[in-house]
Amino acid sequence: MWLIFKKEFKELLRDRKTIIFMIGLPLLLFPLIFGVAFFFMSNAAEKAESEILKYAIVGDAYAPAIAQEFAAKTDKFELIEIEENADYAGLIKSETLDFVLEIPSTFSDDVLTSGQHQINLYLNDAGLNKVYRRVSEIVDVYTQAFQNDGFKRLGVNEKQQQALLAPIVIEQQNIADDREVWGERIGGLLPYFIFILCLQGAMAPASDLGAGEKERGTLETLLISPMDRYKLVLGKFLTICCAGLITALITVSSMALWGIILSQGMAVEFVVEVMAMVGILDFVLIFLMLIPVVAIFAAVLLSLSIYARSFKEAQSYMGSLIMVVIFPVIIAMMPGVELKGGWIWVPLTNVALAMKELFKGTMDYFALFGIFTSTAIIAGALIAFCVYWFNKEKVLFR
Amino acid sequence: MINISGLAKRFAVENPKKLSEQEKKDPRLKGRFFNSVKDVSFTCGQGEVLGLLGPNGAGKTTTLRILSTALTPDKGSVLINGEDVLANPLIARKKIGFLSSSTGLYGRLTGRENIAYFGQLHGIDKQIIADRIDEMADLLDMHSFLDRRAENFSSGMKQKTSIARAVIHEPSLVVLDEPTTGLDIMATGTVMDFIHRLKAKGTPVIFSTHHLDEVQLLCDRVTVINQGETVFNDTLANFSALSDGQMHKSFMKTLSMETGVAQKCG
Repeated sequence: MWLIFKKEFKELLRDRKTIIFMIGLPLLLFPLIFGVAFFFMSNAAEKAESEILKYAIVGDAYAPAIAQEFAAKTDKFELIEIEENADYAGLIKSETLDFVLEIPSTFSDDVLTSGQHQINLYLNDAGLNKVYRRVSEIVDVYTQAFQNDGFKRLGVNEKQQQALLAPIVIEQQNIADDREVWGERIGGLLPYFIFILCLQGAMAPASDLGAGEKERGTLETLLISPMDRYKLVLGKFLTICCAGLITALITVSSMALWGIILSQGMAVEFVVEVMAMVGILDFVLIFLMLIPVVAIFAAVLLSLSIYARSFKEAQSYMGSLIMVVIFPVIIAMMPGVELKGGWIWVPLTNVALAMKELFKGTMDYFALFGIFTSTAIIAGALIAFCVYWFNKEKVLFR
Repeated sequence: MINISGLAKRFAVENPKKLSEQEKKDPRLKGRFFNSVKDVSFTCGQGEVLGLLGPNGAGKTTTLRILSTALTPDKGSVLINGEDVLANPLIARKKIGFLSSSTGLYGRLTGRENIAYFGQLHGIDKQIIADRIDEMADLLDMHSFLDRRAENFSSGMKQKTSIARAVIHEPSLVVLDEPTTGLDIMATGTVMDFIHRLKAKGTPVIFSTHHLDEVQLLCDRVTVINQGETVFNDTLANFSALSDGQMHKSFMKTLSMETGVAQKCG
């Protein structure tokens, strides 16, 4: 078995494609994806904030103060003259305007007699923009002024004002610390990426070790060697497992490493907070939980690969496996699904939930027993199936 | 002495509707099953070279796969020097050297590593493996490419490496499935010389081929399989005598023979 493993691993390390998936991808692409996404999002947000918005006000005569306020902020807004009955939607779609503010003729009426005023804001809200917020910033001053004036004339004091505006207030006394908040946000997404990377890392060697052997014509020669079939399977299984685990190890180490670089080197605030909360033990536990997960992946991938007639066929089967892997992770992200009761025993979902709990710092360490037991049983059963599969002529000689 | 008797092997047809019209007419197709080998028997003595002939799809490769223990037959027996191959496949594999028709090598390993790997699978000592590789590199003229990665090998280089790999454990029976197919004249010559050497050493060789000139040059015995059944099994001299030394005509004649005739010949 070790002989098979040694040979397969030697071949694996000589395969550039596998090395890219196993080492390059988790080490560089993982942080690159987040880095690029972060860069573009912050750029887009900054642009939306500082961009000079082209606008038109219809009915400006009814609210001259507001109109003047917009006109005064030349570094933020640019007035475009339009006709009263112009096609607002068309002008916004053609990017002649960013927004149109339509002020009603009753705007100067007393709110206590005329009721609530409605200003229409026409905008294209499909992309990232801050039009509503930037318009509200100006209009809200007048809303406040109208309100104060109304209350004053009604003889309502400040305390009564507050009570009328919000008769009941729910004051949140959040007992969750920052770690729990960040853990909930990051910990849910993390297994999604880690699982996919482990699967990707194991996929290339799995295709090669099963279907690749068939396609090259080396399988038959291997089958007639004086080696028990189960040893052949275990040797191949261990190689795939190893590739998946190296990917897992590099992924987790890469996360930790980039975490340190971003927090200490570049002082990115939220990374500093997260890194201060997550300990090395958490990273070690995440890696340990990935061992049976990778074993499950390796056994399934090898079974599919042995069944496939060619490398291409194997790749198509394995492509669909990504959906199967994503499903239990999505379940783990659903509201109400927690690492309790039956969920502790649901393979993959339990590991995804446990990763979240570890990041949140609310892990029930007794659950680890259920997690390891259930995933190990599933992995063992799948390896047994793999050996059975490898003994079937109709699978080997399809 | 190799004794193969009454071999039969059928395969389930995955999708009978996808078979060609010609395949559908094959009498070996029975419902969802295809009787690839129905009744194959032949013998090969110590130091003999047996040529296995037959048209494409006759069942030669299936027969050789059974002989090499890659496939298990539904019926029949394979005995090497009286030992039942099917009862003890692991032991039998140590005695058989098999080269399949769709031979392949591990591209990212060198020629030497490919051969050594199979030597190690047979449990041979590393030093002995190294010595045997050198010996075979001399015989098969492999020194110039032995330490290069197999992914860039020519057909001839691949075949030589595959042959060396198949006999690294010095088997007591060598089975070669179309060993010269796709090779140039030089490589074919090397392979044929190698079979000659095995014969001289007293190792029985069973090889399938479509080249009757190779049969004439190398074989002591000839077995012809047609539609999964042995139709001829006798000495080369008797095969040749079927049509006054005209090998091609002899072959065509055997194809029209029935199993009963084959038994008489054997």
